[in-house]
Amino acid sequence: MIGDILNLLSNTFFSMTPLLLAATGEIIAEKSGVVNIGLEGIFLLSAFTSATTTWMTGDPLLGMTIGLIVGLASGLLHGVISVYLRGDQIIAGVGFNSFAYGFSVLMMIYLWGSYSNSPTVPKLGNIILRFGGESNLTIPPTMVLSLIIAVVAWWFLEKTPWGLKLKACGEDPRAAESMGVNVFRTRLYATIIGAGLAGIGGAFMSVGWLGSFSRTISAGRGFIALADVAFANWNPLLAILGAFIFGFADGSSTYLPIMLQKMTGRQFTAESYLFLTIPYLTTLVVVVLIMKRVKMPRALGKPYIKE
Amino acid sequence: MSEALESWFKGFLEQVRIRKRQYLLGALEIVLSALTGFLVAALILYFIGYDPWYIFEIMLTYGFSDLGYLGTRAAPLIMTGLAFSIPLLAGVFNIGGESQLYMGALLGLYVAYVTHNVWLGLIAGFIAGALWGGLIAALRVYRGINEVITAIMLNWTAYYTIIYIILVYLPNPKQSHLSIQLPVSEMISYGETFTLAVVGALIAYFILYYTDIGYKIRVSGANPRSAVYAGFNPKTAIMASMLLGGGLAGYGGTLIIAGVTGSIDTTMSTLFGLGFTGIGVGLLGRNHPIGIIFSGLFFAGLIIGGQWVELLTGAPPYVTDTITGIIVIALSMPYAYRLLMNYVGRLGKK
Repeated sequence: MIGDILNLLSNTFFSMTPLLLAATGEIIAEKSGVVNIGLEGIFLLSAFTSATTTWMTGDPLLGMTIGLIVGLASGLLHGVISVYLRGDQIIAGVGFNSFAYGFSVLMMIYLWGSYSNSPTVPKLGNIILRFGGESNLTIPPTMVLSLIIAVVAWWFLEKTPWGLKLKACGEDPRAAESMGVNVFRTRLYATIIGAGLAGIGGAFMSVGWLGSFSRTISAGRGFIALADVAFANWNPLLAILGAFIFGFADGSSTYLPIMLQKMTGRQFTAESYLFLTIPYLTTLVVVVLIMKRVKMPRALGKPYIKE
Repeated sequence: MSEALESWFKGFLEQVRIRKRQYLLGALEIVLSALTGFLVAALILYFIGYDPWYIFEIMLTYGFSDLGYLGTRAAPLIMTGLAFSIPLLAGVFNIGGESQLYMGALLGLYVAYVTHNVWLGLIAGFIAGALWGGLIAALRVYRGINEVITAIMLNWTAYYTIIYIILVYLPNPKQSHLSIQLPVSEMISYGETFTLAVVGALIAYFILYYTDIGYKIRVSGANPRSAVYAGFNPKTAIMASMLLGGGLAGYGGTLIIAGVTGSIDTTMSTLFGLGFTGIGVGLLGRNHPIGIIFSGLFFAGLIIGGQWVELLTGAPPYVTDTITGIIVIALSMPYAYRLLMNYVGRLGKK
């Protein structure tokens, strides 16, 4: 029983990491007034490029770095479209998701001739706490990193003058401009940094967690991260709690059937598909329960037009 | 009759004269976006060792050669295009067309199979999609939940649940990877499938431009505040647009079942992605039902062409998804085209 709980907790630590990284990044971008729903696409592209790099060089850390760079570059693209070209941020994000899916699957087939997944690649190491017997708690170092980043992001947004300026761009860009803040540049940087964090999350999926790239690797997780942003009411500290809840649902969707099969001795076949709906239904229900109280940045999603 | 037609045509010409610049910009947007899509895809294809011209030649000739098949494949895309565009006119982003189409396909298949009547199936498909879309609208209107999040959660929930339902409750005794199968004699022809899609789009056009609720949908999207001043509630418009859009996506799902496959496979491969491509269809059709018919045909040609490319050269069909994505990104920034046109205009004057 203790073993099961520890296993479930370990699963949660893995699945919450990309959610927390992407949600923290999205909070930074949205606080500045730019919404990026291309998180799903960034997950896919970064997971793909980091798996490819690791496959070629055998170095997962380098793979993760490339994933981060791809994230930053995606943020630059979205930032330029949203800030300077006054594009529709939602539509640009939807298009980016579609492009990332097509591109990464296309390249996967080109590189490895497989329509489902890449070969397995070396993974980053994990911290393993032993509790005697088979009871281990596995903690990926990236998860610890994601916690630190969330806390630092909170401190930055709430306790520093830069954070105040960034938030002003998302609340009232005209007032921010008159305070001497460069709204365009602030929004661009916030979008790039936010996307970079999602890039680390995507890279973690392939080189920290699953050890390969597959076309369904992100499976809506980018949007669960978006739900976490709303859940957290744009507060990175609360996003940790949200990522834990959503990550727990994600972890149990794969672990629960294994546990139940062991306990009942029954073999699940079609039922396993029903378990896979757990993370999405949980996200939906949690968001339905808490959503009334949130307050989003006032200028969110609206392009700033200088006079 | 001819007089009425003449006056309509004169009115149309007048519109074109007044809005020349606007129409020109629209055309520029459409053409440049499509070209950007192809250009980026060409770079990728070149990079991975294929001849882009050859691939595009196959795509554009084979994709558009069999008109009957083209129309059939366009039918669901026209519907998911409308499912995106009608709510967009009311100011809502419906990226749940994907699962609204799934729900319509499932219920439409079941009803058509049980009643031996495709028409009842189509009605059931519409209702299933409308309810699934209405759920997103209700959560947005009454709980303030962002429709983008709801839509994706419902998409994946529907995806896995439908696979479960097919495997457990509607399995095909002869082929294990399929659901129950409509007999070919009860299915509709390619021509009928496309005609039914066009009828759907025309009904949407009529509702949007010639009815009270259509007017409300368009006004509340363009300017929610003036909708309130005019004395009607934007919430009603959002609900109506999502019920109509979701319903059309569901109707499109049943059209595939009734016209092409007759069943759903257990990996949903014949349905997967149609909702997302519909976003590109709607935007390229400039959110106008008539435009969407043509852009639906265009995207259907790309999809069929992509499959021919795979057959003839072995290049993966995902080139189509990539092009769609780029086209949608390119369509997200009308302002960029205005800048471009102003720039070109200035060059011309020098």
